[in-house]
Amino acid sequence: MEEELAREAVDHALRLGAQYAEARVQRDLGHTYTLKNGAAEPVNVTRKVGIGIRVIVDGVLGFASTNSLDRGQLRSTTESAVRTAKASKRLVTSPIRLSQEKSWEDNWEAKMKVDVRDVSPEEKYELLSTIEKSLTPENVHVSLPSRILIFDEDLTEKFYVNSEGSKLHGFVPHLSLLFFLTAQEPGKGVAQRLRHEAQSRGWEVVEDWKPKEIAADDAKMLGRLLREGVPPPKGDVDLVLGSEVTGIICHESCGHPQEADRILGREAAQAGESYLKPDMVGHRIGSEHVTIIDDPTLPHSYGFYLYDDEGVKARPRVLIQEGLIAAFLQNRETAAELGGVSNGASRSSSYDREPIIRMANTYMKPGNHSLEELIEGVGNGIYMKNFMEWNIDDRRYNQRYVGLEAYMIENGRITTPIRNPILEITTPGLYGSVDAVGKDMEYAGATCGKGDPMQGAPVWTGGPPIRLRKIRLGG
Amino acid sequence: MNPHDALEHILTAAQKQGVESAAAGFTRSHKRMVRFSNNSVTITSSWLTETPTVYLVSNKRRAACMVEEQNPEGLKAVVEELARTMKVTPEGDVDFTLPQGPFQYQPIQGTFDEKIAQGETELIDAVEAGVNAAKKEGAIRVSGVVTSNTRERYVSTSTGAEGSDKGTEIEMTIRAFTGDDASGQGITVATNLQQFNPEEAGRCAGHIAKMALTPETGQAGKYNVVFAPSIFANILNRVSDSTSAYTLELGFSFFQDMLKSKVASEAVTLHDNSRFPYGPGSSTLDDEGYPTQDNALIESGVLETYLHTSYTATKHKASLTGSARFEAGIGGMVPTAGNIILKAGESSLEDLFDQAHDGLYITNNWYTRFQNYQTGDFSTITRDGVFEIKNGKLTHPVKGLRLSDNMIRILQSVKALSKEQHWIRWWEVETPTLTPYVLVEGVGITTAKK
Repeated sequence: MEEELAREAVDHALRLGAQYAEARVQRDLGHTYTLKNGAAEPVNVTRKVGIGIRVIVDGVLGFASTNSLDRGQLRSTTESAVRTAKASKRLVTSPIRLSQEKSWEDNWEAKMKVDVRDVSPEEKYELLSTIEKSLTPENVHVSLPSRILIFDEDLTEKFYVNSEGSKLHGFVPHLSLLFFLTAQEPGKGVAQRLRHEAQSRGWEVVEDWKPKEIAADDAKMLGRLLREGVPPPKGDVDLVLGSEVTGIICHESCGHPQEADRILGREAAQAGESYLKPDMVGHRIGSEHVTIIDDPTLPHSYGFYLYDDEGVKARPRVLIQEGLIAAFLQNRETAAELGGVSNGASRSSSYDREPIIRMANTYMKPGNHSLEELIEGVGNGIYMKNFMEWNIDDRRYNQRYVGLEAYMIENGRITTPIRNPILEITTPGLYGSVDAVGKDMEYAGATCGKGDPMQGAPVWTGGPPIRLRKIRLGG
Repeated sequence: MNPHDALEHILTAAQKQGVESAAAGFTRSHKRMVRFSNNSVTITSSWLTETPTVYLVSNKRRAACMVEEQNPEGLKAVVEELARTMKVTPEGDVDFTLPQGPFQYQPIQGTFDEKIAQGETELIDAVEAGVNAAKKEGAIRVSGVVTSNTRERYVSTSTGAEGSDKGTEIEMTIRAFTGDDASGQGITVATNLQQFNPEEAGRCAGHIAKMALTPETGQAGKYNVVFAPSIFANILNRVSDSTSAYTLELGFSFFQDMLKSKVASEAVTLHDNSRFPYGPGSSTLDDEGYPTQDNALIESGVLETYLHTSYTATKHKASLTGSARFEAGIGGMVPTAGNIILKAGESSLEDLFDQAHDGLYITNNWYTRFQNYQTGDFSTITRDGVFEIKNGKLTHPVKGLRLSDNMIRILQSVKALSKEQHWIRWWEVETPTLTPYVLVEGVGITTAKK
């Protein structure tokens, strides 16, 4: 039925004068279970389904969507996409073209060993209750006046068809465990930790997360930080960053500035542009130790997909190769403009959003060092294991990461906790300071925001610990 | 689907399931958008969406659903699933019911314009007017978005509340560039075409971009800062979020235990007024069917109220504020501001520069993030034109600055406000905000160290 409707929409658009058309029926079924300080918050269910139609008419891109899968409404939605595109033609000075791509017919999915739909709500609450029970003051040695624990599942099913012969059916289950802990120590203030574990797989993932252990460890860390934390040192220091910090850095100052739509100015009024120009492939941005990859095909990854929302087959993209800008993230529109083919980076968050260039799972390629070796190589410095506050300017050049769990390194050993060390640095300053990369990979789940209207895309940010030399802490 | 039928299906199903109280909602929205960059339209979009919502309360338990399946069977199935799940949900912390109706809803002036509802070409005309005005000021590249929305909203509860309202909005954000690091933004937001002024937004963006050309790298330090409405609206959105009783519950508020305390300078009077005439966020009733009202959040610097739903009001033994909004995600029904209004002052913009004497004029920002939500320590990045003030006059543009400070300290250091106010809503300002220019003393500014 949905396949038939999507095909009809594409055919109708072509009859109305579109040179290209695609339709995507998307169904998102979401359940969110929350415990707040041990008490249940509302169980929240989302059932979102509809169709989005995208057309090119005389060089103008038009998009329309509806959540009514009635034939009459669908025809009128298609007509709306074509009509509004035609009406804008007089203000189009750069006609839109799409790169030539192979057409595909396929069914693909991220498989669940244990289907999360077969797991009862009781078991999902039991997961959260078990975590809650591990957070008693007796166990974690600190008072936690606020404990927010969330289990979220979002099952996304897409049927995609375009006028060039592609026909794709995809299914991805996104499962997340989030917690937000606020710890308090009399006379020492409060400290907060936000953590997001996420994968695209079934209920079997819960064991991998080790939820009780990570929540209790984080709570104990907050307590120690409050009790023993000292201000960060002044002057130049060497810095070892944990996987979580490496991951957010790769996302913010490599993935985003290398999105070709930013580079070409399409997101200028919202998410911004880039410090990079189209001719900067090959430009040195970091030391030879830095290689950063974005790969949507990583099994179980939160940003997993095998075909993007323009029907292009997904593939790994090396964005920075040994310190040199190697490639941009592309969709069919930017590939046509820059000359080449798409590398399958186009995604939309739901049926009512146009596909735009998105990261999937962005990480730094691991090196050979253990964390201990990275630390041993620092006489006096700082180990910033994770972070709380972060931001970056809209050209992705000037960024800041404020450490949460962080320690002094003295004579090659981790010693006293420190509070809120601030890394405030430029993109080349950061990547140019990397002198060693660890070997132990970790990934964190995140929801990346971009587009207008806003689209939240599931992604992984990841990498090993890395070491930076001669950094002046900010603040 | 007929809205009234949808509401009835939901409430009937809830009653059959033995649910204590239920709120059914239905929103029909027709939204249109034109995006443009590099002086050229990049995409035109339109959305026609009908969204029923379900909120159930029973035995200290709550459940919520946003459902887009457009048939009675689908709605009934959702209510049954929610009711089943509630029975196995751990107990919540508050025994409460939805507000007891019926209520009278008084109309609000200027929230609907038939011309927007029927419009076809006004968005394209707005793009042309905005881009041309920006280019006339000297802009080389112009980007932005113009959006219109026509919505109808219906609410019915098992406790006797029943009402509906409708509204129109039209807004434009336009960003002009005179160089890679020289830009300016203009915004126009209105509920009607008469007050919508894309040409002025384009002129403003182009003017700032021209002034911002060839910026010097700024220096870290403490500055007297004159905030333009765009950046201060972003800050006020975070302030308003912190007055939500639900945000307090989650540990995300910097107003914990501060009710009736002095949280800002006497110059600050901040309201959430969902009944503001011509307000882009105005509505006659909230999503629990309770009538909206004008809420004084901060009065002459004193925190006067938190915003509530029936759940938080019962828990905190407070009065309802008409602020309940259905949220797809955690919370289900959460207290949220409609229109944020910062009371104007007596100064002109030039007076504020004069009072700042030496400092900065910051026109815009993005990416506000907290180091600690409860203490209010945060940073945000300046964007578009930033200018140095010397001896009360603007001198040269600067770049590369980050505002790194504390929300309470900023509020307590407000020294003066302009007479002139502007409506702001854009990508970084979700809740419509009417704010003047604001002078704040001793604002922390940091820069990249390498």
